[in-house]
Amino acid sequence: MSEEIISSLKSEFADSILKVFLEDKKILVTVKKEGFYDVLSSLKGMGFDHLSDVTCIDYIKEQEFEIFYHLWAHKKKLRVSVKVRIPRDSSSIRSVTDLWTGAQIHERENHEMFGVNFPGNPDLSPLFLEDWEEIPPLRKDFDTRKFVRRKYYGEE
Amino acid sequence: MKSNPEKEETFVPFHLPFGPQHPASGHFYGSVKVDGEEVVELEPYPGYLHRGLEKLMEYRTHIQNSVLVDRICVLEPFSNEMGYVNVVEKIAGIEAPERAQSIRTIMAELGRILSHITWIAIVSLALGLDSGARIALGDREGILRLNEVATGGRIYPCYFIPGGVRRDLPEGFEEKTLEELDYLKSQLNLYDSLIFRNETFVTRMSGVGIFNAKEAIALGATGPNLRGCGVESDVRKDEPYAAYPRVNFRVMTMKEGDAYSRVLCRRGEIAESISILRQLLQDTPKGKFRIKMTTRTPKGNAYFCCEAARGELCFHMVSDGTDKPYRVKVRGPSFSHTLSEFPYLARGAQIADIPAIYWSLDPCPPDMDR
Amino acid sequence: MEKLRPKAMIKSIHEARAWSLWVVNYFNSCGFIELFPWLGSGYDMERFGIRVVGSPRHADVLIVAGYITQKAVKRVRRIYDQMPSPKYAMALGSCCMTGGMYWDSYSTVKRIDEYVPVDVWVLGCPPRPENVGHGLMMLMKKIKGGFQGH
Repeated sequence: MSEEIISSLKSEFADSILKVFLEDKKILVTVKKEGFYDVLSSLKGMGFDHLSDVTCIDYIKEQEFEIFYHLWAHKKKLRVSVKVRIPRDSSSIRSVTDLWTGAQIHERENHEMFGVNFPGNPDLSPLFLEDWEEIPPLRKDFDTRKFVRRKYYGEE
Repeated sequence: MKSNPEKEETFVPFHLPFGPQHPASGHFYGSVKVDGEEVVELEPYPGYLHRGLEKLMEYRTHIQNSVLVDRICVLEPFSNEMGYVNVVEKIAGIEAPERAQSIRTIMAELGRILSHITWIAIVSLALGLDSGARIALGDREGILRLNEVATGGRIYPCYFIPGGVRRDLPEGFEEKTLEELDYLKSQLNLYDSLIFRNETFVTRMSGVGIFNAKEAIALGATGPNLRGCGVESDVRKDEPYAAYPRVNFRVMTMKEGDAYSRVLCRRGEIAESISILRQLLQDTPKGKFRIKMTTRTPKGNAYFCCEAARGELCFHMVSDGTDKPYRVKVRGPSFSHTLSEFPYLARGAQIADIPAIYWSLDPCPPDMDR
Repeated sequence: MEKLRPKAMIKSIHEARAWSLWVVNYFNSCGFIELFPWLGSGYDMERFGIRVVGSPRHADVLIVAGYITQKAVKRVRRIYDQMPSPKYAMALGSCCMTGGMYWDSYSTVKRIDEYVPVDVWVLGCPPRPENVGHGLMMLMKKIKGGFQGH
């Protein structure tokens, strides 16, 4: 069943997909930013109805963010992870809230922690932090130990 | 229910705060917009427990993180440890020995029973059924003592490490556990008559907070909340890990999708966990309980999901070749339950039903906020 | 006002206060988890007159259990201000006293006594039920000895 999905993705999205392979019973797909929404939409049509997680990773050396979408199909019992790279400054990627309602809250958290913009998401207001004036905290250029030493322990 | 049906009034919303200091809310704030007795909208404001665990884990080595990861969800530390050690072992490319896998499964199932009993206590407190709460809190002590005998820590055992478990089970642990399981099985009958078949409890929970399978899946529900809608989904059966391939158990599902069916799913899971433990304790494999792991892990990405008592707990780890992880993302089950499902279910409900809906979803604010 | 009363009456006021401490229902983080056995039939704090109440206006003791975030500390101060005098505060767990395990977290408060005057400190991560009980007994002893509270 995984082979059918892989071959159908390869044939339908040959220009958007950079790599797709099977590893340890899980399908891993690397897509370009331009075609990622159609790939996700097509995967949803194939039965991947549960969005587990939207993860963002900060590759500061390459000046890029990598966003992962982890999907699970309840009927087929298969897992797919789709990853897409976006530029680090002025990072913005289309929201997938219209495909999975539960994605809204994952994107809101990533917006607060990394500063990624998700146009199409109805509500991107701060979730966990109140009156936060520094840069988004999970970025690699935010050093939490330096911040804490300066603010709470009075060291410079 | 409009307050004055004859007069034409414009709707003036009234905001009722549900928490953070509230006998039935836990450390979570929901701003409830009401019209008379009916809830129009519920807006969640999480973040009272946010400590930035994912950032802290990037500064500590893998062994140091095994102490930090316990505290993701305070009520079920073994599930957090299980997810963490499996994802580190996946990146490192090693596999723990069979005896360690069995021991891990035994402790994880004990942790599941502990979490469900704590949930029974909290839901009874929130609904006003005091005696159920006091008895359940007293029953937790038996399992906490077993934790202490095996690992040294009552609440935070820090027992699983990448490569196995820290130390072997002591002499006589199997007999003590089997005695405790017999006691818990008899207590289940008491809970049935006191709580689960109590007429007031059943009336308060039935027909409240209903959603069907399609809505639940779209909102990101997992665990007993999803199984209460009839979807047979359990990570222990779908993507088995540890010693689960060796045991037989049923996946508890109910059809109605209301609060009472979720409650019954959890009650059934306690009984199933007792049966899993009896199977595991009969034939624990002998051998090594730990293998050495290198301090540095190779470069790579790994994603692992395990079944916590509340639902699907997933870890995504990225390693860059050093001894510290580059990025760790934890997806706690309560993230979707409290922030997606609870506002959806509270719409249209009565104010007095909000604690019943909230606790039937079994949220744990620490693993939502991290 | 204490000066106008006879000595025996003052002593019984202190005893009465010590044997009926009402705790406000505000359990924030993991440090409180070993207060749970005291609520149940295992250790049972109600035999000492300690109860958990819903409103800050009814309460005598605020137990700050576990780590407090920047967001929550404003609410803790507000709850403490709403409690009527005499009131006491207890810090439970290492995280609110020194930062504890989250000493390098960008969003937790490292010293709770900058916000709320603390009377009893109970160490541990989390403190065992026996330690929590010892802390409660220490507070009761302090009050019996004439501590006026805030």
